[in-house]
Amino acid sequence: MKIKRYFALTRAGILESFQYRLAMLVMIAGNLLYLTVVYFFWKAVYSSSGSDVVNGMTFSDTLIYLVLATALFNFMEMYTVWEIGRNIQSGKIVLDLLKPMRYRSYLFWSYSGTLATQFVFTFLPTFIIVCIATKGAVPLGTNLFYFVISVVMAVIINYAVDFMTGTICLYTESIWGINIMKQVIVLLLSGATIPVAFFPEGMKKAVGYMPFQSIYNTPLTILLNEKPDFTEVFKALGTQAFWCAALLILSSLFWKVSLRKITVNGG
Amino acid sequence: MSEIIEIKNISKEFKVLNRHEGLKGSFKDLFSRDYKIVHAVDNISMSISQGEIVGYLGPNGTGKSTTIKMMTGVLEPTSGEILVNGNVPYRDRAKNAQDIGVVFGQRSQLWWALPLVESFKLLKDIYQISDDSYNSIMKLYKSLVDIEPLLHKPVRQMSLGQRTLSDILAAFLHDPKIVFLDEPTIGLDVSMKSRIRALIHALNKEKNTTVILTTHDMGDVDALCRRIVIIDKGKMLYDNDIGHLKGFFGSYRTLKIRPSGDIKEQSEKLKNELDRFSAAVSVDNEWISVLINEEKAKVMEVLGEIQKLHDVRDMKLEEISTEDVIKKIYEEGVE
Repeated sequence: MKIKRYFALTRAGILESFQYRLAMLVMIAGNLLYLTVVYFFWKAVYSSSGSDVVNGMTFSDTLIYLVLATALFNFMEMYTVWEIGRNIQSGKIVLDLLKPMRYRSYLFWSYSGTLATQFVFTFLPTFIIVCIATKGAVPLGTNLFYFVISVVMAVIINYAVDFMTGTICLYTESIWGINIMKQVIVLLLSGATIPVAFFPEGMKKAVGYMPFQSIYNTPLTILLNEKPDFTEVFKALGTQAFWCAALLILSSLFWKVSLRKITVNGG
Repeated sequence: MSEIIEIKNISKEFKVLNRHEGLKGSFKDLFSRDYKIVHAVDNISMSISQGEIVGYLGPNGTGKSTTIKMMTGVLEPTSGEILVNGNVPYRDRAKNAQDIGVVFGQRSQLWWALPLVESFKLLKDIYQISDDSYNSIMKLYKSLVDIEPLLHKPVRQMSLGQRTLSDILAAFLHDPKIVFLDEPTIGLDVSMKSRIRALIHALNKEKNTTVILTTHDMGDVDALCRRIVIIDKGKMLYDNDIGHLKGFFGSYRTLKIRPSGDIKEQSEKLKNELDRFSAAVSVDNEWISVLINEEKAKVMEVLGEIQKLHDVRDMKLEEISTEDVIKKIYEEGVE
């Protein structure tokens, strides 16, 4: 029975996102524009390097990776930091805190509807187009199954990072700078803007110890791997599972401690 | 009658940074550890019974919202104890949330883009309301207000009055033991105000729900509350029946005068002339109001004095309103 309340929130989220049709169109157009930039940028990188393969990736490898990374980003970006920050500033957070649910899950499930629509309207079409346009460069086998599991965990990790960043807003009461910083760090270190394969050795190693690459790099690597080696996939998924658990616990603790400091505007 | 809310000696302190003025000051603040302690709520105790409507009053920024946030579990008191329906609110916030409903007049808990009925359905799932109780409360709502045209209207297209009405219905939906109403009639027109009051009254009667009402509109208090609690600067000033309130300051009456000539000028003069009666003179566009404490001066004496000095065109005598008493308490405190 309890699960019903969560899906009720998902349903409301889907209904809500259909209310804003124009926003959806803008989202799709923005997506295309960004992809065009990515295409020409990497074309220039490859033609100036003089070789077809850079860091073990061909031009089309890189392009497929980045197109899918963008699609993944558009689907996974939850604007949680904005949401928490705005709710703190306006004081609306009080109303959310007074729901008989934990705030973290309330917020997540409130957003899950948008997540679902974004998946259907940005990620899926992009994925299908990439599959068709590259004529089989994306393998369609068991890797799809692993990919789905990986994406679910990526969503959780991404949300936990966002939620922790949002919690900082309880102290600063400002959002903009924190959000931008978070976004830059996550997008760079997760391999969403530049494939992790392009990182210098030291940085690659450092990134390996951080949770960020579990958000974009891991699911994409799993997806684009033609012959998934079971132990390798298992290791990647295991790392993700570890970060899921660690960040969920951490964000929950951080939130609990921070909530005591809350003053709530208009009080 | 059982006690539904028990508050014992609660206080809430906030640490606030001492801000300095100017550019240099703001720069200093970046590194300052100069905090001051603000006592938002200072040693308040009260107990509230099931089914009561309590008016919770006080000037702006005196700790009303802070107290309510502690009762709802959003804030943890610095010291003291609160029990709401047997729960410690800040410790079992989610559990406590199941027993309470909240309306903030300036914000809505409804889903902005969706028709009202979708919000209701969502709340039904969130609070796990059974189909039977949902249907019966909807039936009650339909008997109390004309809800049908609202149900399929997106909340963002509603007028403020409709939205407040909907918010109140939403707060009562899960049959909570206690509903907190924070300025529910703010910004509403007269007829909407009376509809909202009638609704609150009916729901309280029908469901025996305890209502804690924060408001600055004494009309709300007169229409709904039998008991009022007043706090100022975090301290409890008054907690008693509303009937008791009027006798509290001795017998006050208001004498209203309309003199010939410029009303503002005349009132300034009157202020000096009536000094010895210790009467408070105030003025609006039509009337000069003289608030008289009958223990200190007789109304007839004051009127006689005024007639001697001014040409009075019209006069009327009013019993003191709740509003005047509260105003007096806010300004002077309780002696």
